Amino acid sequence: MNYIDFLDTQEDLVTAGTSACQGCPAELSLRTTLKVLGKNTIMAIPPGCMAGAGCIGWNFDNGLKIPVHITLLDNTAAVLTGIKQVYEADGRDVNVVAFAGDGATADCGFQSLSAAAERGENVIYICYDNEGYMNTGFQRSGSTTKGSSTSTTPAGEVAKGKEQQKKDLPMIMAMHNPAYLATLSPSHMSDFVKKMEKAKSIKDGFVYLHIFSPCPTGWGFDGSRSIEVARKAVETNLFPLYEVENGQYKITVPNKNPKPVSELMKMMKKFAHLSAEEISEVQEYVDKKHKFLSAVSTIE
Amino acid sequence: MARDFITPKGEEGIYCIDTASWRTYTPVMDKTKCVECGICLTYCPVNSIHKTDGKYTISLDYCKGCGVCANECPKKAIDMIEGGK
Amino acid sequence: MGKTVAMTGNTAASIGAALSRPKVIAAYPITPQSSVVEHSASMVANGELKTQLVQVESEHSAMSVVQGAAMAGGRTFTATSAQGLALMYEPYFRMSTLRLPMVMAVAGREMTAPETIWSGHQDTISVRDAGWIQIYVENNQEVLDMIIQGYRLAENKNILIPVNICYDGFYISHLYEGVNVPPQSEVDEFLPPYVQEHAILDPEKPMALDPMTPGPLVMKYRKNHLQSMQKAFDVLDALDKEFAEKFGRSYGGVIDSYKCDDADIIMITMGAMSGTAREAVNIKRSQGVKVGLIKIRMMRPFPKKQIAKILADKKAFAVVDKNVVFGWNTGAVYMETKAAISELGCDITSIPVIGGLGGTDISLDHMLSVIEKLENAKKGEEEYDTYWLED
Repeated sequence: MNYIDFLDTQEDLVTAGTSACQGCPAELSLRTTLKVLGKNTIMAIPPGCMAGAGCIGWNFDNGLKIPVHITLLDNTAAVLTGIKQVYEADGRDVNVVAFAGDGATADCGFQSLSAAAERGENVIYICYDNEGYMNTGFQRSGSTTKGSSTSTTPAGEVAKGKEQQKKDLPMIMAMHNPAYLATLSPSHMSDFVKKMEKAKSIKDGFVYLHIFSPCPTGWGFDGSRSIEVARKAVETNLFPLYEVENGQYKITVPNKNPKPVSELMKMMKKFAHLSAEEISEVQEYVDKKHKFLSAVSTIE
Repeated sequence: MARDFITPKGEEGIYCIDTASWRTYTPVMDKTKCVECGICLTYCPVNSIHKTDGKYTISLDYCKGCGVCANECPKKAIDMIEGGK
Repeated sequence: MGKTVAMTGNTAASIGAALSRPKVIAAYPITPQSSVVEHSASMVANGELKTQLVQVESEHSAMSVVQGAAMAGGRTFTATSAQGLALMYEPYFRMSTLRLPMVMAVAGREMTAPETIWSGHQDTISVRDAGWIQIYVENNQEVLDMIIQGYRLAENKNILIPVNICYDGFYISHLYEGVNVPPQSEVDEFLPPYVQEHAILDPEKPMALDPMTPGPLVMKYRKNHLQSMQKAFDVLDALDKEFAEKFGRSYGGVIDSYKCDDADIIMITMGAMSGTAREAVNIKRSQGVKVGLIKIRMMRPFPKKQIAKILADKKAFAVVDKNVVFGWNTGAVYMETKAAISELGCDITSIPVIGGLGGTDISLDHMLSVIEKLENAKKGEEEYDTYWLED
């Protein structure tokens, strides 16, 4: 069955009506993720967009068709650990999965994530990266690209947006030697589904997936272009698509002629204030990062 | 039986918002231009495009009118028409 | 009958937990608790204890891991002290408010600043309003016994509130005493396996655990929690009797009153200091002083009826607190005892005493001096200034 027919026929385990913004790639990613992972899944969602969109329930109702728990912002990976340990003690196979924003992953919850990865817990940690605390008003996170105008790093007369480069979460997590790691983009759905299926198949060890999720409302572009923006991020190497298994790095969607990062930046308002020099600082960062990725991708 | 207020839990139903009422633009597919590539289906954030009798159709029950399907269609077979219907 | 072995309080805690058959243990080392988990680890390494032992990287994660395990229906255990308890406050509060039963041992330690690692009650006192049941014990045997009883209390279907077993750091955690270890089979009869019914994370029974909750529902959940907590008095008293019948050891239940019936002055203590207090009471009694001792075991919920009943016809009482409540210029147990007797409407003289902070010894002489103060306490002088047990 090809991946399109698969996505057509698999049950959608998310409520039909969430309050995610129009065109939200995180909503798309969550629905697709659960289509692949299936009903035998327990999900933890920390505070953030997907929790705020209703997936964690309200009153006496659930927001998903599987068990879900809203963790604290800083302990998702630890809670996953506890859940999984009980199922392992009982000898029961179940997917224990996090669907966490970059705020919960890069900042607050990084400590518990790093430790869970180091311990090799048999869980799947999925980060949807919309480069900020978007649910609560677009505050910056460690994963926000340099130069972004956010509500806590606004561009003004004196300041030019976030001063620091984007924290390279996937590479940091790759250094924890997980059983499987991959970067995913909703713009490349066949690659996305393949990697999610791979993640599901890993029965022994920590799995980390990092999904690029451009935020129309927070970044300042029309919701209809969200997939276009994600695609451009892949094409500029700002968000390269690769996977790591048994210490082997593989770029799954290579860019023979990567586009300049300025092409991505001019698609949205959050970079509108940047000078050519400031843009080139980000280009340099992207190039350096890619040089490193290319180098390790050849290591056997 | 009186509900016990011990641990907060959602057990009764599914929380569902009438997102169709959000629409200010509605997708309309020109079936003559559609080549049935299925790309619109893969990108719809609200899982509202499905194959029915071999044809791709857009369900308007929860469609938010985001326009991703129209923007991504390689044949420009989908138009976003103003209005919520 | 079980063997009696010389062991530290920490080892007693570790063995009490092991006998309770926890499915998951997750703990982070901190002085003076570290040997609790070290002993658990060595039991696991030798095949004596079958459990999922998770080596977490902080106490916040320790409480989070056991929270996840508890939501999946498993019986869990952890232990900590002072800074660790403070660090885990976020999931600690959530553990009780999610009504997930468990037992946590706390080797009580003074809170920093100043920089200290030694004995104190400030850590558990500082979190007394986070919704957990808190029981303070006096010696190593009581640690082991109360961890087992703690699971029965927490898992009781009318309670469903996690339990802290609090014991003085170093004085109990590190000192050796003879402890009788009941056989596993007898503990199994007293404490059957735990089956969680009220909430679960299980694909066969999908639910959102802790959905977004509107205000009026929050009120209902809190009301149930408060009311359930009030049921703990009877449950603990009954458990004390049942435990005594099976294992031959009773601790008095919610409070332990010693020579209070014909006393006209009362000393109130909590934790390890109670042993010294009892010695002082015996000495003074032999000199003809009619003094009695209340040892508070269950601090949360606060045994206001039980204490008020004893104090109703007394002339004076003193409370020795090994902690401070900054805004009241007294300790917490004094403050709450005053609240407990407020309805009595009688003229009872009271003396707040603070001692033992940061590991300072509360000596026999200190205790005798408290009783002397009580002897001289003038009727009608409702309250004395705080008496600090300094040398």
